[in-house]
Amino acid sequence: MRMLTEAMEQALADGRRRPAYKILAFDSKVDSLSAVVTGNFTQEPFDLTPYCTEISWTPAQLGFTLADPKGIFHPDTGASRKYLGDGAIIRLKEGDSRVVEDNWVWTFTGQIRGQIGWRKSRRSKTLESKVTVFSRENTQAYKRRKITSKEYTVGTDIGVMLYDLCRSFLGLTEAEIRIPSVLGLQFRHQVNQVAQMTPWDAVSTILQTVCYVPFFDGEGRLACYNKSLSRPPDRVLPDYIRIFDYEIPARNQDAVNRVKVVFLDSQLEQVDGPYQKLGTAQITTGFFSMGEKLDTWWSEDHKQRASGTHLKVIKSVNSGLLPVGTESYQEIDQFHGRIKVEISVWVPILATAMIAAYIAAAAIPDEVVAPLGAGVTIPVGRIIQAGGMVAILVVMMSLGSAQYEVWGTPYDMAYLEKESIAVEDGISYWEENEKEIKNDFIGSHEQADTVAVTELIWEKSSSLPRRLLIDDDLALEMGDIVVLPDGRKFLVTNLAKQIKRGEVPILTLDGFKVMTA
Amino acid sequence: MSIRKIIDWAASQADGEMTGTIASPFFQLYDDAEGWVWACDVDIGQPEVLRSVPVASNNREIIYAEEGKSVSLKKMNQGRWVIAGLAKTVRSTTHIIYVSFEEDLAQIVGHTLTGYLVRPFTYGELGTLSPGGYGSLPYGARGRFDAHGNLVEILES
Repeated sequence: MRMLTEAMEQALADGRRRPAYKILAFDSKVDSLSAVVTGNFTQEPFDLTPYCTEISWTPAQLGFTLADPKGIFHPDTGASRKYLGDGAIIRLKEGDSRVVEDNWVWTFTGQIRGQIGWRKSRRSKTLESKVTVFSRENTQAYKRRKITSKEYTVGTDIGVMLYDLCRSFLGLTEAEIRIPSVLGLQFRHQVNQVAQMTPWDAVSTILQTVCYVPFFDGEGRLACYNKSLSRPPDRVLPDYIRIFDYEIPARNQDAVNRVKVVFLDSQLEQVDGPYQKLGTAQITTGFFSMGEKLDTWWSEDHKQRASGTHLKVIKSVNSGLLPVGTESYQEIDQFHGRIKVEISVWVPILATAMIAAYIAAAAIPDEVVAPLGAGVTIPVGRIIQAGGMVAILVVMMSLGSAQYEVWGTPYDMAYLEKESIAVEDGISYWEENEKEIKNDFIGSHEQADTVAVTELIWEKSSSLPRRLLIDDDLALEMGDIVVLPDGRKFLVTNLAKQIKRGEVPILTLDGFKVMTA
Repeated sequence: MSIRKIIDWAASQADGEMTGTIASPFFQLYDDAEGWVWACDVDIGQPEVLRSVPVASNNREIIYAEEGKSVSLKKMNQGRWVIAGLAKTVRSTTHIIYVSFEEDLAQIVGHTLTGYLVRPFTYGELGTLSPGGYGSLPYGARGRFDAHGNLVEILES
């Protein structure tokens, strides 16, 4: 609800209202929209009020006809055309002529998109222009471009992300945000990020976690309203507001009767993959080595987890002539294991001793054994040396390559996908008309339950549309709950009025009957 | 490719994906393309399970997955679902809240909790829930519990 000053409330309440308004235009090349909204502009705004007729107003759009007898707004030659050019900032201020302007309220702030229409009227023979101004959220920049934000860690209040998004992607300053910076809900996941969403969707998704809906108010500041219909009403219609009509429009659609909120729990669950070969290893070892240690990882990036791992020996180090060592396997952690091959101590000792013996045997004098009746001699030393050589060769022949495989069950940690469903009691499966909400910023059933129930009551209530025609009430905004004199509650989803000089505008309120929990 | 671009790509790919759990042993199916493919039934949280969901041809290792494992489904152009791989998310508990509407009043009239949760046994449960008493299950052993905390089965660790 828009706050009115006491002077303004009194002026509206005394029954002799003298509605007044001002339409001001700003050159967007001189001052930014942000500067205009926060009051830090440097230019003198152009007062369009004397030129404006047929003013139609909704929170999303302001339209008026501009009488321009001197052609000062002609898009090509007009001296003041910059105030109605593409991107020009237009603001509407409304109040009462008996109250000083400082007490009036801004009811619209927006920009012209594209080019205004400008023609000579056949009837009045004057030059006139049809001007349409769009509110801040009605820009393609907020609703088409897709963005990816930075990451936010667990425990961060979602308001921090919201403010960062508003600054980075909506171009807002803190003074332009009416939403509290702390929303009282913290991220439950380790990493939280907006990916491939439009800025407006991102803001809406964040606020959805606390059942809020964003909108830009008449001042041009980002505000929000609460979707909970259990909250206290914003405005009890004062006596000076005359009610002209209370319509019940037709609505020929099925109402949503089931709301499903899907979210990821912050807990992770182990998801096993099929039992399989996780890694292979090949080792060449022997007498020259006391042992080998080989680390085997389950993936090249060292990120794959596995459980129940064990060693499968394809070719052993002992597949040679002699058993030369032992092979063992140890699972170091969930990401890798270690294969250990230990060569028996006697192998290098034997090899070393035999080499020494071989050298030593070379020094044995060539005492010969002469066989009877033959002319050949057999050197005894060579036979001893050959024995040493055989021992060395046996040890050498026992070295070789061994092949191993590590088998196990790879697993990954997966997020638990949970659901909260609010459903109308007593309906059958085939009668369900479901609305699904996916929001990964919700981290617990408690949060999701609140969103689901709030959304279901909202949807059910919105299936009972109402239209109220009353005297203009400058305090009303979108999302307000209004109490009628007979106690009925009405939620405002849209407002519209035609503004004419000297007349109290009739405000058309579209909305629905409020159901309370 | 930057991390941000990879995330963007992954987010755009996420459209048309769904998570389910394997609800039957794998079997061979003679498909429309007149070829034998591996398939199984998949529980997607609806009253009826999806019948005979084929496994993507490039992912034959999936057929070794057991019943109850979470799988990622991808929608093909013809509107049929195919098992693309093991999922990064697992369907878990669902909280259903029943709301009645009368005149201007909405009222919560009941709620139920369905689904299951897999978690390691607590120290006390290792003694009370393991079939052979304390010591027959190792620390870190996991169990599948229903939404109300009752043990459904002991899972191999």
